[in-house]
Amino acid sequence: MAATKKISLSEEELVSKLKSQDTLAIQALYDMYSGALLGVISRVIQHTEVAEDLLQETFIKIWNSAGSYDNSKGRLFTWMMNIARNLSIDKLRSKDFKNSNKNQDIENNVDFIDAQKEVTFNADVLGVKDLVTSLKPEFRTVLEMVYFKGYTHVEAAEELSLPLGTVKTRIRMGIMELRKNFN
Amino acid sequence: MEEGKAYIESGILELYVLGQLNAQEQLEVQAMASTYSEVKQEMEAIEIAMEKYAVQNAVKPSLGLENRIFERLGIAVPEIQQEAKVIPLNAEVKTNYQSKIRSLRLALAACAALLVVSLAALYSAHSDLGSARDQIASLSADREKFSSTVNYMKSNNADLTKLVAMANDPDWKTIKLAGQKNPNDNMVVYWHPKGKQVMVNTTKMVLPANDKSHQYQLWALVDGKPVDLGVFDVNPDTNHILVNMKEIGTAQAFAVTLEQRGGSPTPTMEQMMVMGGV
Repeated sequence: MAATKKISLSEEELVSKLKSQDTLAIQALYDMYSGALLGVISRVIQHTEVAEDLLQETFIKIWNSAGSYDNSKGRLFTWMMNIARNLSIDKLRSKDFKNSNKNQDIENNVDFIDAQKEVTFNADVLGVKDLVTSLKPEFRTVLEMVYFKGYTHVEAAEELSLPLGTVKTRIRMGIMELRKNFN
Repeated sequence: MEEGKAYIESGILELYVLGQLNAQEQLEVQAMASTYSEVKQEMEAIEIAMEKYAVQNAVKPSLGLENRIFERLGIAVPEIQQEAKVIPLNAEVKTNYQSKIRSLRLALAACAALLVVSLAALYSAHSDLGSARDQIASLSADREKFSSTVNYMKSNNADLTKLVAMANDPDWKTIKLAGQKNPNDNMVVYWHPKGKQVMVNTTKMVLPANDKSHQYQLWALVDGKPVDLGVFDVNPDTNHILVNMKEIGTAQAFAVTLEQRGGSPTPTMEQMMVMGGV
């Protein structure tokens, strides 16, 4: 049973092991963050198989470009999270994904449409919905669009017909509220 | 300080953390963060909040994904991990069985030892019981012998006491009977005419022992006619000194004949052993 114990390392250990290509680092990263990263990916790409393929791509990129990570630019998770989201957004906008979306099986389609209309509830996300709904709706909408749905803040402002400054302020207020909640 | 605070409040750090800035803007933020520690601290606080937010929004990957990813990475880890998952389990099961077998063996050995001890205890208890039984048997035999001795002595004592009483009582008459066939034969009859009691004394009796098919019979001669007074045995093992015979009030003489066992209605005169007059 000890073999299935989750590996957990400190940020410094993780970074140094990752840079020296110690496989323990990637195992630890998987144990600690695979769920969080898949959560982000799944908000952009609802299709489970595609989302998991993207998680795989994310870890490969983390492993292969570990040398380019610079901790003065930000925390490791921020870096990984940006990799995951950028891969997801690239996928969302790619031709083959748009085509494959059109050619989905009927049963997959039902799930896909349901997921898009938020009819089915993902048990893994239920607790989060409570947390997010505790945010003021105007903060939540903007934060979800930018953090989870792959919108740029400029796109979000256009989509919501809001001045760019208002969107920035709402992002800041939303994050401050989250910080309060977490502390 | 003021510049740093204003920079924080502009909201650009949040956009930086969310990956919303272009390369030029990113460099600016990084420069500010390395200049102002409060900017750096604020940035980290935002990052940690977003990290927690993402962790709370986690979606669990399917089970096989981890191995697929590690395979793609060409890391030997998954196999090691898989082995690590399997081997200890096997070893655990094996050691489980082994320890189970070991404890079962121990239990078996303990049972066997217990059985041997039990058998030994049973055997010793059995032989103890046997000797106890023997002791009880010999004790009860002793007790029987003792009680028969006591009974014998009691009756002897009663008879002797009676004899003493009889000797002091003038109403008791002692009649000596003399041998008829053999002059050495003799015996004594005690008679109480008023009480009509007749007794013979086995200790004062010299007669050949009778066999099993014959008994001695005592007769009283009353006006020339023999009257049956009962039978008695002569043998050396007799318990009693005095033997009660049938009652008679008047008699001129007593005689004893040897008759068939149980006695005869009339005396066989040829077998007249002793006789004595009153």
